[in-house]
Amino acid sequence: MIERFGDASGTSAVGGVEGHAPRSLARLVVPVLGVGVVLSLVPLWLGDSRVMMGIAVVGLTFAAYAIGFNLIFGSTGQLFLCVGALAGIGGYGGAILADVVGLPIVVSVAAATAAASLVGGILSWVAVHRSLGVIFTGIVTLVFALTFENLLLGLGGLTGGESGFFLEAGRDTFLRRQIPPYYLMLGLVLAALVVHGQLRRSRVGWAFRALRDDEVAAELAGVDVARHRILAAVVGSAILGLAGALYAFTEGRISPTTFGFAEVDVVVLVMLAFGGIGSLLGPILGAATFTVIDELLVEVGQLRVFLYGALVIALFLGIPRGVIPTVTDHLRRRRGR
Amino acid sequence: MLEVAGLSAGYEGGDVLRGIDLRVGDGEAVTVIGSNGAGKTTLFRAIARLLGISAGAVRFDGKDITGLAAHQVARIGLAFVPAERHLFPRMTVYENLVLGAYPARPSPDTMEMVLDLFPRIAERRRQLAGTMSGGEQQMLAIGRALMAEPRLLVLDEPTTGLAPKLAAEAYAALRELHAGGLTVLVAEQQVPLALELCERGYVLDNGVIVKEGSSAELAADPEVRRAYLGVA
Amino acid sequence: MIASILDGIVFGLQLGLLATGLSLMYGLGGILNLAYGQMAVVSAVVTVFAIDAGLPVPVAAVVGLATGALVGLVLDLTVLRPVYAQRGEARVLLSLLVSLGVALMIDGFLNWRYPLKGLSIRIAGGPVEILGEPMLRGSLVASGITIVAMGALLAFFRFTTLGRAVRSVIEDEQGARLVGIDPRKMLRLILVLSGAIAGLVAITRSMVTPVDVTAGFGITVFALIVTVVGGLGSVAGALAAGIVLGVVNAIAATKIGTFMSLVILLVVAAGTILVRPAGLLGVEE
Repeated sequence: MIERFGDASGTSAVGGVEGHAPRSLARLVVPVLGVGVVLSLVPLWLGDSRVMMGIAVVGLTFAAYAIGFNLIFGSTGQLFLCVGALAGIGGYGGAILADVVGLPIVVSVAAATAAASLVGGILSWVAVHRSLGVIFTGIVTLVFALTFENLLLGLGGLTGGESGFFLEAGRDTFLRRQIPPYYLMLGLVLAALVVHGQLRRSRVGWAFRALRDDEVAAELAGVDVARHRILAAVVGSAILGLAGALYAFTEGRISPTTFGFAEVDVVVLVMLAFGGIGSLLGPILGAATFTVIDELLVEVGQLRVFLYGALVIALFLGIPRGVIPTVTDHLRRRRGR
Repeated sequence: MLEVAGLSAGYEGGDVLRGIDLRVGDGEAVTVIGSNGAGKTTLFRAIARLLGISAGAVRFDGKDITGLAAHQVARIGLAFVPAERHLFPRMTVYENLVLGAYPARPSPDTMEMVLDLFPRIAERRRQLAGTMSGGEQQMLAIGRALMAEPRLLVLDEPTTGLAPKLAAEAYAALRELHAGGLTVLVAEQQVPLALELCERGYVLDNGVIVKEGSSAELAADPEVRRAYLGVA
Repeated sequence: MIASILDGIVFGLQLGLLATGLSLMYGLGGILNLAYGQMAVVSAVVTVFAIDAGLPVPVAAVVGLATGALVGLVLDLTVLRPVYAQRGEARVLLSLLVSLGVALMIDGFLNWRYPLKGLSIRIAGGPVEILGEPMLRGSLVASGITIVAMGALLAFFRFTTLGRAVRSVIEDEQGARLVGIDPRKMLRLILVLSGAIAGLVAITRSMVTPVDVTAGFGITVFALIVTVVGGLGSVAGALAAGIVLGVVNAIAATKIGTFMSLVILLVVAAGTILVRPAGLLGVEE
């Protein structure tokens, strides 16, 4: 992923590699359907265990986060280090609108999603218009994420502060049952995949890839770079906000750490680095792998964080492009020979 | 003193220079002339080891310096003054000169010699380098290179952006240094100035040496006259 | 009010010194070190061990400080090597991600192995009255050490050949190479130096308030805010921004609470990037 941002000289080392993106409909439908079928079978296997289903829902939530982040960072190179915060706007926004203001759940979720989308769009608009570049975009969004976290803690009267917010709304509905939340979240993940896939397939998606490979070339080809960046941020942030909101209503309790930088952004970054930044299914592979790894590592406690750190280093230095692009490139090369 | 043999070098996507042979003897002054984009800067950056070499060798005092890094070359007596000068803009003139002698402490004699040579910068020792005029910056760049007491001074288009009067002044200083025994290699677009300073010259065109000879020969060459001396 | 301003100055001095390390790593080598706070924490923990082992506090502090420097050296020799192979923005980005990994490793290890360790150095003697306000003796000693360290740092950059060589790389890396300076060596020096600076700040901070194993990320955040406001790569800017933000933080903390005061600092940092990316207080050096 690193070389995708290119240096000022504009030489793009990996320019051609992902040029053949799925343009045909089949190459989008087949993977999404495949993922849908496999994941919809999970409750048959784990459905008896409330704990396991809870973990599976968290896994899907992170898959949705990873897709949203992938859309923003992987496709248009905007380093949004505020995935948790944008999801938190969805989560806390939805919770407050439903419980404090008293709006219906659907309206609350929609409004909170729109708010996250708007904030993401504004961040992107600012980054684009101030020409912040990857690093300063990263710093500004990180600062935003920390601000959000501290606001949650500082406005304890509204948010419940450190102890968190217990949602009344949706308490006796299907949202808190054992299986339905899983399918609800799976629906979101699949929808997000379709949205990302469609964006990749469309002319806009072509523009996205051109943009990532070489901004100058993209501009020369008549692509409105700024508009596509902002569009990606708006769509990606909406996915993040919606995932955060749905998670809040199905879980029934949220706290600042539910959407914390260390708890969300770092994990999503690891998932995506593993799966493959910019690839369609990278987020799914990353989220699935790390949900399982996380479970296996529960017993080692804090050592888990240590292992995560080692993995981050190994991934970014070892296979900086992630598993899926590395593997598909390898296969493509073998086939080509 | 300097020998370039079969040198090819360039940037990603292809070599700019192909098979360059060039020699600078002890105490000589040699010029490389050529139009914009002929490859002069690439050649000099390769000699100063700021740029990778794809084939051939650069020898300094008979030793192959192809494997050395830029800062190592600087320490063995080959000083390079690039056209962009690369001064330290927010440091004083004095600090720029002191760093020229790095890692050694600057010798008072050399400092005095440099300040005598360039009275304009002597007046501005406490000024920040970045606030000086282009001509003064060029002189500081040459002065900084001299602080290391180099045996070979390599200059890439020292007159870039200078008014004619200042360009002449810079060359006057170079003549004085050369008369004192310093070996000089200079790339130049203002060919008359360079030919006046140097004993010999090479003509670089499109990445290859197309001509070489004494300054007098080059000045008399009809093609050189037409292309670089503006004589029809 | 005067009490919080004084506390703010004490904290601000430390922030300023802290930020110079981060700022130098960025300015010199394009390294955005998110493990900076963890370097400080490692120093603090090692100091605790040294004190527990029976060393006198000043000696233990030196040991801790040296460990911080050692962490910097180890980073330079190991995980940062592939980072140095990158150029420009790609290098900053990779350094950010890799150092995030290092931060997690250190945090994870310390929280797993020594979750309860914390450094708290008590300076004997009662409070001292300053401007009519009683000040902890520890605060004064900490400020004294910090000011001396700042002075030493500024003198190093201003008057020594090595210090000038470091600045020259920040000014123009190619120019530095042309005069015989190896930028890689300067960068190594800065990593070692910033490790020691992080350690020193952790140790002096512990004279005012305990520094525990979870403090790393918070320290990095403070350093980042101050560095951004002071101007990435500017030592004088970092020192000035530290003091200003320290005072702002202290006043805001007493008026509207610690979380909201941090919000104010963060907003100032974000505003700075948007208004003047080179840094609000980035004094031309």
